[in-house]
Amino acid sequence: MSAYLSRLASKASMENLSYLFNIVIAMLVGFLLGALLIAWGGYDPILAYASLVDTSLNVSDPYYIAMTLSFTTPVMLTALTFAVGVRAGLFNIGAEGQVYMGALGAIMVASLKLPPTLYLPLAILVGSLLGGLWGLIAGLFKALRNVNEVVSTIMLNWIAFWIVEYARVYVYFNPLRAEKTISMPPPGRLPIIVPGSELSLSYVISLATVVIVYFIIWNTRLGYNIRVTGISYHAAKYSGANPTLTTLYAFVLGGLVSGLAGVLEICGRPPEYAITTGASNLAGLGFDGIAVSLIGLNHPLLIIPASIVIGMLSAGSRGMQIRAGVPLELVKGVQGLIIISLAVPGFTYMLKRIKLKRSLRGVEGA
Amino acid sequence: MDLMSSSSGKAVVMSNIVKVYPDGTVALRGVNFELSKGEIHGLLGENGAGKTTLMKILSGLLKPTKGEIFVKGSKVVLKSASHALSLGIGMVHQHLSLVPVFTGYENIVLGIKGVKPSRKDVEELMRKVGLEAPLDVAVEDLPLGVRQRIEILKMLVRNVDVLILDEPTTNLTPIETRELFKSLRVLKEYGKTIVFITHKLREAMEVTDRITVLRRGKVVGTVKTSETNPVELAKMMVGREVVFSIEKTPKEPQGDALKVEDLWVMSDLGTQAVKGVSFNVRFGEIFGIAGVEGNGQTELVEAIAGLRNVVRGRIYLDNVDITYKHTKDRYSLGLAYIPEDRVKTALAMDMSVVENSILSLQWNSAFVSKLLSIKWSEARKHADRIVKKFDILVKSLDSPVKSLSGGNQQKLVVGRELSKEPKVVVAAQPTRGLDVGATEYIRKLLIQLRDAGKAVLLVSSDLDEVLTLSDRVAVMYEGKIMGVVDPSRVSEEVIGMMMGGYTLDQVRGLGGV
Repeated sequence: MSAYLSRLASKASMENLSYLFNIVIAMLVGFLLGALLIAWGGYDPILAYASLVDTSLNVSDPYYIAMTLSFTTPVMLTALTFAVGVRAGLFNIGAEGQVYMGALGAIMVASLKLPPTLYLPLAILVGSLLGGLWGLIAGLFKALRNVNEVVSTIMLNWIAFWIVEYARVYVYFNPLRAEKTISMPPPGRLPIIVPGSELSLSYVISLATVVIVYFIIWNTRLGYNIRVTGISYHAAKYSGANPTLTTLYAFVLGGLVSGLAGVLEICGRPPEYAITTGASNLAGLGFDGIAVSLIGLNHPLLIIPASIVIGMLSAGSRGMQIRAGVPLELVKGVQGLIIISLAVPGFTYMLKRIKLKRSLRGVEGA
Repeated sequence: MDLMSSSSGKAVVMSNIVKVYPDGTVALRGVNFELSKGEIHGLLGENGAGKTTLMKILSGLLKPTKGEIFVKGSKVVLKSASHALSLGIGMVHQHLSLVPVFTGYENIVLGIKGVKPSRKDVEELMRKVGLEAPLDVAVEDLPLGVRQRIEILKMLVRNVDVLILDEPTTNLTPIETRELFKSLRVLKEYGKTIVFITHKLREAMEVTDRITVLRRGKVVGTVKTSETNPVELAKMMVGREVVFSIEKTPKEPQGDALKVEDLWVMSDLGTQAVKGVSFNVRFGEIFGIAGVEGNGQTELVEAIAGLRNVVRGRIYLDNVDITYKHTKDRYSLGLAYIPEDRVKTALAMDMSVVENSILSLQWNSAFVSKLLSIKWSEARKHADRIVKKFDILVKSLDSPVKSLSGGNQQKLVVGRELSKEPKVVVAAQPTRGLDVGATEYIRKLLIQLRDAGKAVLLVSSDLDEVLTLSDRVAVMYEGKIMGVVDPSRVSEEVIGMMMGGYTLDQVRGLGGV
């Protein structure tokens, strides 16, 4: 163990330090741009940011931290989907649709008459599998017809959106509340950790999943094959792995994880425990995950701290609205600017890797 | 009248050209090359002789390190390919540079500034020179021979006087080759000068007027085609100084370790790359496959390793039929494989030494527990053993292999493959790009393997290597084996002629032995 830790420490080389430095700079740039936007809207940027921090990272009241962590729960998982894709050499942006499908799976289970103890495990099972199925479809397109995964996953995201909308309106509608589906019955809900907040046991499940996927990617044969395939198709084939099948596994693994994110949003988040109009309580979780993954250099364990950024911005947005009077539209704009700025260093890092891969794949000189 | 003596008859003169690549490789060591107006000039040589480099310099793609170039009598410094084009020099590369989704016509006029030639102009040109190609079909739907014609037409509409063709017959059928030669002769009648880069003796004999032979970056000589013969050309092409010799004790090989029967394999382009090859490698011998690259060796090796499907034929490993077995099963049956491309295939460059030391061994229970998790501590010991045994220079076992030198990368690959305790070792270009020290080290390892009773299949385009190491040598040409010879009892002309497309029987008939 200590040998392992010392190896980890030796890996914290100049490159990683310079990355940390870049992230700090990027954060400053993002906040500066956001401040300009707030000032342009006629509000006080300093008051706005003070409220943001005060209602997200305020340690004096566990409620605020709990809220921040509750918002990191789904994006950790959707970030994982993207990160696994990158390790396999993919640009898989299908987490968004897989979250919808996972949530739909949970609602399907919620509609059944079941022994109370079965709701939760069955919801997790059905929701994850539906997410996995969504990943599998994109994977099959890639494996069989070499369809670019960016195109197929965007399309699948929309298909999932409209399936969920249809189900909300015509199948699982709540007869008392037209704007949402039926809710998960109380036995199927995950217990709240910090009373009064939205932080439930789903956060722990999310963390555990991140660690499990980290283990799969770094310590199993499947993960090894995924990483080799991501670096070089030819090397994977040479090693005796089946790169096509391995890619498919990476899609499915990503889908399962985002499907779980959808389930946890239903079973672990008060007050709804349901899908609301236009999937508004799910929309954007998949795309936020991409940003989180990029900030965390597509490394499962770095995703955990990187997700705090998103959690903080989401939790603090209410404070910015209430205390500084900044309207929601502007808050969203500021969030976007900060997230984009933060993702820039990680994105360039990834592009460098892709460039290296292309140059390996390039035509041999005569 | 001797055309060559009048300076006005010279289209191009290249004088004392030296080219050193940024990585220190010396490709050309003072080459003098002359092109007379209106001739077809063959440029002959083995891989790495410098043919393509020399012509890339003439077409403005590479800058010479030293030397002068005269076009039509006046000195020029070529700045770019378009500069060379404006002087009337154009090159058709081995890998064609057409836009796949554009039609023939769109490709031909692509990039022409100012007034583009009309369809009519192009059609007239096609009739004139006899290079017919459909103009309205997307290039990706056309066969390779037709694509090549389009590429040549692309040069002709730009009014080139000097047309350079780099190995133009590589992917052509015999009929397409004949048609190409016919057109080249027509172009010659129109006063075009043509450089024909090739390693195929027959084709050089058939179509050229003069031939310049390059070897290791130097001109061996320029001869008139009518005054030479294949035997002389082969000697010029492969005549070699022995770099070093290796002590090899005689050994009596026994039993078939690897047997290949009537093997047919397809290339990526869908053409037959290996056409009915049969041979056997016995325990305790090195069986070499010589030949100019691109004659099916790569496909043959990939078929043996299971990376490429077999169209017809059988492969046996120690009497087990492995023709349709999965790659990992072939490894577990005792096959070790050193692929020709270590950067792309043999190693995962971004991964560490430890991770690469188990590449292709991830199926082995020594490194994988029952739960399919990798035993990294075992892998680390394994990597450490390889690094120590083969004296590999690494900063740490956790450094990515891309930070290792080429020689150390290759030692890691070879060490890993030998750690499998294999029965058969397939080594493709095992010393390519390595320095003298690493080269010698790896060659000695192969000899040791042979002495230990293993079977080694050595595929290399380095003739010295094949001839000094092998107990028997097969020469491949266009997917076929031209003959199997004992390298200690055969002259280099014979090998050279077989590399250029003559079977062993034909060579004997021509008096090459």
